[in-house]
Amino acid sequence: MTNTLTRQAFLRRALAGGAALSVPGLLPSLANGATEEALAKTLVFSNWPLYIDINEKTKRHPSLDLFTKRTGIKVQYIEDVNDNSQFFGKIQGPLSHGKSIGRDIIVMTDNSPYPALLIKKGWVEKLDKSALPNLKNLVKGLQHPAWDPKREYSLPWQSGMTGIAYNAKLTKPITSLDQLLTDKKLKGKVTLLANFGDTAGVVALANGDDPGKIDDAAFNRIVNKIKKAKSAGQIRQFTGNDYAGMLAKGDIVAALAFSGDVVQLHADNKNLQFAVPTAGGMIWTDNMLVPKGGDAHTASVYMNFYYDPKVAAMVEDYVNYICPVAGADKVLLKSDPEVAKNTLIFPTSAMRAKLHQIDPNALFNPDYKTKWQQLLGA
Amino acid sequence: MRSTPAKVFAFARRHVLTLYALLAFGYLLLPISVVVLFSFNHPHGRFNYTWQGFTFDNWVHWDAVPGLRGAVEASLEIAAISSVSATVLGALIALALVRYGFRGRGATNLLIFLPMSTPEIVLGASLLTLFLTMNVTTGFWTIVIAHVMFNISYVVVTVKARLVGFDRHLEEAAMDLGANEWTTFWRVTMPLIAPGILAALLLAFALSVDDFVITNFNAGTTVTFPLFVWGAARAAVFPQINVVGTAIFAVAVSAMLANVVWQNRRARRLV
Amino acid sequence: MGFLHRHRRLTPYLLLGPGLAWLALFFVAPLGFLGHQSLETQDPIELTYTFKWAWHNYSDAITTYHTQLLRSFEYAGIATLIALLISYPLSYWIAFRGGRWKNVLLLFIVGPFFVTYLIRTLAWETILADQGFVAARLRDLHVLGADGRLLATSTAVVAGITYNFLPFMALPLYVSLEQIDQRLIEAAQDLYASRVRAFLRVTLPLSLPGIFAGTLLTFIPAAGDFINAQLLGTPNQAMIGNVIQSKFLELTDYPAAAALSFILMAIILVLIGIYVRALGTERRTG
Repeated sequence: MTNTLTRQAFLRRALAGGAALSVPGLLPSLANGATEEALAKTLVFSNWPLYIDINEKTKRHPSLDLFTKRTGIKVQYIEDVNDNSQFFGKIQGPLSHGKSIGRDIIVMTDNSPYPALLIKKGWVEKLDKSALPNLKNLVKGLQHPAWDPKREYSLPWQSGMTGIAYNAKLTKPITSLDQLLTDKKLKGKVTLLANFGDTAGVVALANGDDPGKIDDAAFNRIVNKIKKAKSAGQIRQFTGNDYAGMLAKGDIVAALAFSGDVVQLHADNKNLQFAVPTAGGMIWTDNMLVPKGGDAHTASVYMNFYYDPKVAAMVEDYVNYICPVAGADKVLLKSDPEVAKNTLIFPTSAMRAKLHQIDPNALFNPDYKTKWQQLLGA
Repeated sequence: MRSTPAKVFAFARRHVLTLYALLAFGYLLLPISVVVLFSFNHPHGRFNYTWQGFTFDNWVHWDAVPGLRGAVEASLEIAAISSVSATVLGALIALALVRYGFRGRGATNLLIFLPMSTPEIVLGASLLTLFLTMNVTTGFWTIVIAHVMFNISYVVVTVKARLVGFDRHLEEAAMDLGANEWTTFWRVTMPLIAPGILAALLLAFALSVDDFVITNFNAGTTVTFPLFVWGAARAAVFPQINVVGTAIFAVAVSAMLANVVWQNRRARRLV
Repeated sequence: MGFLHRHRRLTPYLLLGPGLAWLALFFVAPLGFLGHQSLETQDPIELTYTFKWAWHNYSDAITTYHTQLLRSFEYAGIATLIALLISYPLSYWIAFRGGRWKNVLLLFIVGPFFVTYLIRTLAWETILADQGFVAARLRDLHVLGADGRLLATSTAVVAGITYNFLPFMALPLYVSLEQIDQRLIEAAQDLYASRVRAFLRVTLPLSLPGIFAGTLLTFIPAAGDFINAQLLGTPNQAMIGNVIQSKFLELTDYPAAAALSFILMAIILVLIGIYVRALGTERRTG
């Protein structure tokens, strides 16, 4: 479709779209539209479910439609990332042989080894920084992660918390991991997350250990605690994002879950609540990466679009996670002051103090990996 | 004359089997009726597990779910290509097995039998290993290859059953009347074994559309309908999935019903 | 056509060629590659695979996963047995009492098969839901404990497997029952055999080929199944299929997964061998 647009065409489209967004917001896009590099016709974007704004009636994504309107690039949005290991398992084969996986953007979590592994193995493309003036909007705390210090390959999509989701109608509030794992009334109605970075972290905290520094003793304590609950029949399953359906249906009453999911699930079951465990929860960041064979330039154009605080606010308002784009909070507060009370988007400092990150070395420990899988599998 | 209780008892004994059959049918159709029923459900959220109201909307806007249409199209395309290919390859094998003598009959039979007796997971996994080692990107065509592979055996068995009962005198008669082998084949043999070939084609098509395990291993990032259900079902269970499932079911059953009626008619005509 | 006529001997090979070549290329060869891979070792950090005649993959697999292996055959066996018990009277009824409607009645058995496997299993998730109608009524009737549930149990998994593979049992049974000449049964009854005896001495033995085929066609895929265990069970119900799936597609531990696949196949072939023997002997002495 379109490759070079005139300034007039851009303005016409924006005005026709009746955008509530002001002209300054368009300037970055204009700068991109005038580059010589051709933009792809379609952007293929793999993401986690429940992670972008959606119009429940039409099932369309307003922010993506806006992107198409502005740039003419269609977005094929596929919610096929359900679990970091599962997704990586799917893409490892082709990538290891230098083949494209048919995606321009994928999203993986930093509490799994995969973003670092993808970069280390050279299976991702470098971002096109010339198309990313909005990169300056990235919040300070996320600008130099250890595994991609110059943000050459990745950009955060959202940050979030791992905590406990529970059905307030079917149980009293579940606020601690020990409660989750030992309360007999919850037997068989509890799920944990299969991802090591999430579950092991929360369990470590409940054990009084620091999830940022997991040694063999701490690891064994974690495994034993979970094993005990498993043998007692407490745990129904280890899930990726599929706890959502079970919670909505009432098959499980409490689960280790991601903060934003609970809000989106209210349409299915308004009794669901989220709590940061008393001993502490985990904070993580999901990152956009461009797999080898993906169109880095077009992907960067999209990422730049996303890092416009107004666009980020659109998505934020819906997914209720922690936004990595500075200024989005202010936009949200102006358009929807109620949202300031939403501690999922704006965690209080008390909450932030209880949020931790996983020890990256533990992620790469092959022994832990094997033992963890055995814990999950058998 | 028998007394009434005896009559009742006799009646019950005669029909207990029928009663059982009815219960069994009910059991078989229970999940199907749930699937059909819930295709008319109007859930407020992402999941279709509880009844929340009736609507035709899902049928009208069956492709409102992003990705569903593409997945269904992919499934149908793959099924069409692979079922035709498998039927051709398999029918030829069946012809050879029934009509001709040749060395290696035992080995051939074994080779046909083995894929049917190998768990799908092993079939899928070994194919994936082949593709990875040969550096072939998994996707649409690898799925087609896989489907042809496992369908050949079923086609052979189906067509063979039909061929075995075939009266060769008809062919001899045709040739006596001056037809050459080619004409005989097309005008005598083919029409008579056509139902068997058609049955095999339908079976292969159905097996292809429904396949999950082998496809999951070899699909790469292509999405077929069963894969869509598996993936999407993690995050949401849209009623539109039920719609597509019901549609496939309805079409398949109608096709088979038509086949049965057609066969009954032909049988009556020949008699 | 003259060519084919002159080279009659070639015809069968030409007919067999394409199909068998396809199978050789895409069934036999992959198994070879799988075998090769089962003897590699994986570096879990670098994600590289090296060929090392790693026979220990097989012994490791058995020691680590013998629970799941045994469980798979247990579930498959129970499911096959139940399927047989459920299908036999049904197939019998259609074959002997179906009359003109036989083919239509068969549609009832085969029809459900045409709803995608996954959707059927998801429907069971709806029917057996903890908060659903069936489970609630069973709790009322005290069949289930106050805290009881249907889903996420071995019962649910076995029930799911049974349901999903029922047509594979019912159809072969029907085919062999339908071929029985009813006059044989009449003859037996003329010779003063009771209904039951006639069944046991005439019908049942004659339907043995159907039982044989049905049990094989049900047991084999059931043993390798993982979907029912995943959707209807907990990790405590994990079958060997779940392990193989996870090792291939999540952990990408191809060597271990390949070894497990061969072990599964080997056990199945052994069991089939024993089964064939047992049934063969019975027929000779029966």
